[in-house]
Amino acid sequence: MALLKDDDELLLNAYFDGELDPVSAREFERRLERDETLKARHDRLQKLREAVRSIPQTGMPAGLQARIQARLDAERRNNNNVTVLRRRTWSYQALAAAAVFGAVISSSVMMTMEQFGQRDSVASEVVAGHIRGLLAPQPYDIASSDRHTVKPWFTARLPASPQVPDLAAQGFSLLGGRVDVIGHNPVATIVYKHAAHTISLTTLRSGQSVPDQTVSGYNVRSWSDPDFTYVAVSDLPGADLTAFERAFSKAAPAPEIK
Amino acid sequence: MLQEGSEGSDRLSGQQRVSVPIVQNTDERAAFDEVFVPHMSEAYRLAQWLTGNASDAEDIVQEAAIRAFRGIKNFGAVNARAWSLTIVRNTAFSWLAKNKPKTVVYLNDLSAAEQQELEYEGLQGTKVETPEQIALFKADAEEVEKALAQLPTQFREVIVLRELNQMSYRDIAEITNVPIGTVMSRLSRGRELLLALLGNRK
Repeated sequence: MALLKDDDELLLNAYFDGELDPVSAREFERRLERDETLKARHDRLQKLREAVRSIPQTGMPAGLQARIQARLDAERRNNNNVTVLRRRTWSYQALAAAAVFGAVISSSVMMTMEQFGQRDSVASEVVAGHIRGLLAPQPYDIASSDRHTVKPWFTARLPASPQVPDLAAQGFSLLGGRVDVIGHNPVATIVYKHAAHTISLTTLRSGQSVPDQTVSGYNVRSWSDPDFTYVAVSDLPGADLTAFERAFSKAAPAPEIK
Repeated sequence: MLQEGSEGSDRLSGQQRVSVPIVQNTDERAAFDEVFVPHMSEAYRLAQWLTGNASDAEDIVQEAAIRAFRGIKNFGAVNARAWSLTIVRNTAFSWLAKNKPKTVVYLNDLSAAEQQELEYEGLQGTKVETPEQIALFKADAEEVEKALAQLPTQFREVIVLRELNQMSYRDIAEITNVPIGTVMSRLSRGRELLLALLGNRK
């Protein structure tokens, strides 16, 4: 009796999960009828599933939902306080002036707060993308040290794709690329290696400002050119990221025709 | 800042308190209730499986809820369940990376050979089993729960999403942000690891 080949194992799982198209599923069923070992493995997966699904599932703790709603209320109240603080009343004139002044100030405060929040979450989402990349078997979806492979791969998937220079001469070799989702938009991330360290360079729509910072132990460094805002994430020290930025900016000239 | 405003605010009529952001907040709140809240208990269970701990799961769901609320504007009205679980999953991973970095096996920290072995090489694959041996497999909920908790996070999460949340490969790929091919190999590999763990009990 033969060992299951890897492909068979994947096929078996896909069949078992109902993910095969009808034709392949029927074909696989015919094989199951003939192949005792395959059938036994299939039935074992079924037993495993039943056992997993019989694990008692705990419900949400009482009060969690109420606590969450309360925190959201608090969040809303904080936002509103920004407007409440802007009230002055001595005369209608002053009131009117204050209302205008208050509206302007509060909306700009709100905008700043919102932008700050967004920036903050952009940095953490970019870092999350990097961490997810490190968790995957490889930190990229397309592996290639050839810029002429990576760039078209991005072009085929994204509305805007950045230059993909290989910076091996400067010590940063191109590993490949992946698509990250930042703020619900798919964006290109180029992956480089420097010694044993992985650098994810995420390219965002230009004109965003992401402050340099450290998130979950990863250094974040960002810069912009007219086409993109770049966010580099790595466990490399800040100085190395600065060197990386310099190498990348020098190598990525203002893009030609896209 | 005009701190004395609180005194004056009593003399203001009610309407003036209504500013545009409140209206927006109300809408966002309604959207949040519609999009995130229905999946909250599922989210909680996922967080519990990822962290292995009820009180950590509670923190994560709270933080994820706030992230979801702040990001509700970005919700594209496609798949509320996958969207909500993605936020919870990502919150759980950042939380784990920050608070319990040792519990997450970072595949990149392993050597290429170890990675290859963990991710692809079958424990079962090297063993020739007869149909009779395979048919002997038996496990109860308690044993499986223990074994599942021991799996490396990236295998555990695909199995939980598939078996307990009963998500499709597509949704699992979206939530875990890996290609479908990786979901397939992790599921198959995860199940093998689980079977191996259960085979070695006693």
